[in-house]
Amino acid sequence: MQKKEKRIGQPDRILSYFKNQWPVLLIVTLTGLVYNIGLLAGPWFEGKMAGCLVDVLGKKAVFSDMLFLVISYVVTIAVVQIARYCKRFYVRRFANNVNRQMKEILYSSLVQKSRTELEEEGAGNVMTKAILDVDDCVEGMRKFTTEVFDTGVALLAYAGMLLFYDWRLALLCMLFPPVSYIVAEKMKGIVQRTGGIYKERSGALSAATLDRASNAITYRVYGCEEERKAAYEKELSSYEKAAVKANIWSSTLPPVYRVISMAGVLFILYFGSRNVLGNGWKTFDVAAFTTFLACFTKLSVKSSSAAKLFNAVHKAQVSWKRIKPLMKVTPFPETEEEEAGGLELSHVSFAYPGGSAIYQDISLQAEPGEIIGVTGAVACGKSTFGKTFLCEYPYEGSILFGGRELKELTDAERSGSIGYLGHDPELFDDTVRNNILLGKDEDPLPFLKAVCMDKEVEEMEKGMDTVVGNGGVRLSGGQAKRLALARTLCHKKPVLVLDDPFSALDKDTEKQVFASLKALAADSIVILLSHRLYLFPQMDQVIFMEKGQAITGSHESVLRNCQEYRSLYEEQEGGKDR
Amino acid sequence: MKNRKSVSNVIWQTIRKKSFLSAGIVLAVAASVVTALLPPLILGKVIDTITAGKEAAFLLIFSYFGLTALTGFSESLREGLLTVFGQKITHALRSSLMDKYTRLTADSLTGQEPGTVVSRFVGDVDTVENLFTSGIISMFADACKIISILVVIWVKNRGLAIVLAVILPFLFWFTRRVQKNMLAAQVENRRAVGRASGCVPETLHNIRTIHCLQKEKYMTERYDRYIGESYRAVEQSNFYDAIYSPVILILNAVVVAVVMLLSASGNARVLTLFGMSAGTAVAVINYISQIFGPVESLGMEIQTIQSAIAGVHRINEFLGLEEKEDVTGQQERQQDVGEIIAEFNHVTFGYREQDILQDFSFQIRKGEQVTLAGRTGAGKSTIFKLFLGLYEPKKGSVLIQGRRAGVVEEKERRKLFGYVEQTFHRVPGTVRDQITLFDPAISPEMAEEAARLAGLHETIMALEKGYDTPCTDGIFSEGQWQLLSIARAVAAQPKILLLDEITANLDAQTEKEVLQALQRAADGRTVISISHRVNARTGRVITVG
Repeated sequence: MQKKEKRIGQPDRILSYFKNQWPVLLIVTLTGLVYNIGLLAGPWFEGKMAGCLVDVLGKKAVFSDMLFLVISYVVTIAVVQIARYCKRFYVRRFANNVNRQMKEILYSSLVQKSRTELEEEGAGNVMTKAILDVDDCVEGMRKFTTEVFDTGVALLAYAGMLLFYDWRLALLCMLFPPVSYIVAEKMKGIVQRTGGIYKERSGALSAATLDRASNAITYRVYGCEEERKAAYEKELSSYEKAAVKANIWSSTLPPVYRVISMAGVLFILYFGSRNVLGNGWKTFDVAAFTTFLACFTKLSVKSSSAAKLFNAVHKAQVSWKRIKPLMKVTPFPETEEEEAGGLELSHVSFAYPGGSAIYQDISLQAEPGEIIGVTGAVACGKSTFGKTFLCEYPYEGSILFGGRELKELTDAERSGSIGYLGHDPELFDDTVRNNILLGKDEDPLPFLKAVCMDKEVEEMEKGMDTVVGNGGVRLSGGQAKRLALARTLCHKKPVLVLDDPFSALDKDTEKQVFASLKALAADSIVILLSHRLYLFPQMDQVIFMEKGQAITGSHESVLRNCQEYRSLYEEQEGGKDR
Repeated sequence: MKNRKSVSNVIWQTIRKKSFLSAGIVLAVAASVVTALLPPLILGKVIDTITAGKEAAFLLIFSYFGLTALTGFSESLREGLLTVFGQKITHALRSSLMDKYTRLTADSLTGQEPGTVVSRFVGDVDTVENLFTSGIISMFADACKIISILVVIWVKNRGLAIVLAVILPFLFWFTRRVQKNMLAAQVENRRAVGRASGCVPETLHNIRTIHCLQKEKYMTERYDRYIGESYRAVEQSNFYDAIYSPVILILNAVVVAVVMLLSASGNARVLTLFGMSAGTAVAVINYISQIFGPVESLGMEIQTIQSAIAGVHRINEFLGLEEKEDVTGQQERQQDVGEIIAEFNHVTFGYREQDILQDFSFQIRKGEQVTLAGRTGAGKSTIFKLFLGLYEPKKGSVLIQGRRAGVVEEKERRKLFGYVEQTFHRVPGTVRDQITLFDPAISPEMAEEAARLAGLHETIMALEKGYDTPCTDGIFSEGQWQLLSIARAVAAQPKILLLDEITANLDAQTEKEVLQALQRAADGRTVISISHRVNARTGRVITVG
């Protein structure tokens, strides 16, 4: 329905959004003018028809005059109203388009921020808030566009018509709408103040209710319930007071403003009827008189919404100010597919910025097709070792992939070389299929089979199209892990770092999955972090980590050289590991 | 159960209690209907007068404006009174909900999600308020408006009244249809908006995977697709929103046109129905546009009432929950039973059909320190709950100082029991409030004394504002919260201390501190604890299950 939008010229200037949407805005302008100027037609025709009726009754006109008048009245109203429909519809479409563009820009820069930026510099929160701000900002832009026509143009048209009929009378009666506006402006302070207090009290009431409900048993056991009830009653009373005050100020005043701005009617009735009788400033017929009156009534109603225009603009400005610095179009990085290559680690150490070393001096050489098992006790640093390959923080020593230093690659080259699956499966609230493919055009079945999940998925209510829920809540822990593994295999990279991908699997499944991993990743280097060792004899190399130190070698050699590894291994082999 | 309350009950009582207010609302509604009806009539008269070539009387002009003003003021008055009334009702409803809440059985109490309770007390009650402020009463006012306008038109131009009577049902049908479709589109939109905004925290959470798999573009497209979905839903509701008024106003114009045409027809038979003067014509045009507004509001009001009814149902359901026994005045004479302070006599109990305790008996002497031991689920915590009178045994009896545990009155409870729960339940307020639980009977000195006993006084004094420091997550460590829990338990100098696996989540060092505090607290009291022996010398073990 909606084609791809043109790129925004300068995304940090609000005008460029108006410019970008010019075709829609053109329709809005045309129909807005037709509608608002056409609004005059209503009162004018109504006056004419009343006048014509007088003439018909006085035998000065005939039925066909009325017929003509009536038909043109209905046609005009129809045209005006259709214009109104178009205007309303397209103003909203304009708002929708801008909303979408702004959010897209924000989101695409959010998605390209690095994890450290998002977490440590709080960029994530800022962006989340900014996305919420977009709604306010666009709402303001929409109201502004609407009100420019509905209030601005309409008020001018009405005022013009009144002045045309009788400028003295017009000026006289138009004194009142501004008065009502000024009064409203004066009262705004108190309306906002009481409104603020009301909001605060209502928050306090919710908090008190939540406290009462979440600590219910504690209060009961300590015999504090009656006392709490009394306190709640107090809370209710102060809430009631605040609510009454706020609502009375906000709901009883608008009718009063209307009355003030309608006061001009007094003059119209008096001077207007003198005009009709021929002893006033101008000569009116009945038609002119009723038109004048109807016009004024509409003007005074409209003028009350002038305040809306200013409020809308103000609100939009406030939120725009917050979004503006974030509105930068960042082009997506090119995706790179790297060739398979050897991996060479020499004397790699790592510490978080400002912290002490997590591990030290790991050296390793691996060729495509090799699987390297990494193990150690809880908190031995193996997960940190796995994350080192992501280069989120700088490491010491050197990691060469295909002969090139990892930290010197571009982000795109690095993510083209290294695949990483962490502890958290990081699933998306989407279907099983989409979670594996993430937009790739392929058959996901082989990957599901590889992780022994094809049967389970088949039994799900919608098979491959079952939605897994937020973060995969609708799956079991083991299913989530395997689904994430299937996704990683589907996006195979020359180096795959897998952090405990089998933790929730039983032994048999683990063996099967391991076999298919070996087959599927035959030309990749797999670094497998695990705390279960019975697969380790099948590994090409083993790294055993303990207190920041690492022992590297084949399974047999580490078994020989390292007492702790041996005892761990034997304990798991000998003992009944589930 | 006598005087079981319901929403209608509460409302009726409020109406009776605030009879002046209620009468005022009726008057204000009537006034706003009547005063709105008169100005067009006067306008018609003015026009007829000047058409006849005479000057309109001042009085007439003033009364036109006066009545317009009066309409405005009586609308203000109505809104104001309704606000007050609506707030009175919500206040009364919330009071009786809270009253009910304090009388719920422990079972229902734990069965209520705190979030659900809040939405009952806050959200649902608000919809009931809407039922009044923008539902029933304005619906009544709008219906009156429509009827009274029809009556006036009937008098002024019979033909038009018939035309309108035919059109109105159609109009109403159209209005409802549009509103229903809009509602559906809005619901769909909210769903889509929810999906789109859920996308952002998800992205933050999964950012590593996104970067790693180079899915930045895919994610942006996915986000855009979600926005697109909400966009389509919005477009749908925009369509209905934009189409409604034009249709109504075109219809309005057609009716006006037909009436004008017929009254200018010159046909005598038609004129008996449609004949009118120019003044009347102006008045009638005025009325016609007045009648369409209330029809639209009527539709909205029906919607409000529908959603309010669901709220009323939920509140009534809550008010119908089972209540605990009323113990006031049931206090049996406090017998002096000598040494035995607490005992189970052949108690059988289970939360549901299945029994946890069967024919279980034991006695605890004054000053004794007892440990309940047994596997998980054997009913150790349940024994505490029975002592505390939260539940009644199915068979047998639970006695505290010789009387039934269930009849211990609220104000006595804290002097009798100090209950240290497994996890600390923080209440909103200062550190002192945590200890006193807002109980005015516990003086600041008593609170301080309790904190000293728990070994937490120095820690508290080291805080920025001492005992007046507002409690937030980070101010105490895990173990210190548990110490605070002990201070809370001993603040009222209870005779019996109940300790429920309080060191389960603590490391060894903190556990030692907590146990030391407990030994101080246990001095001279009866202590019943689960799992941890406070004092090995005197501790007796009762095995449960």
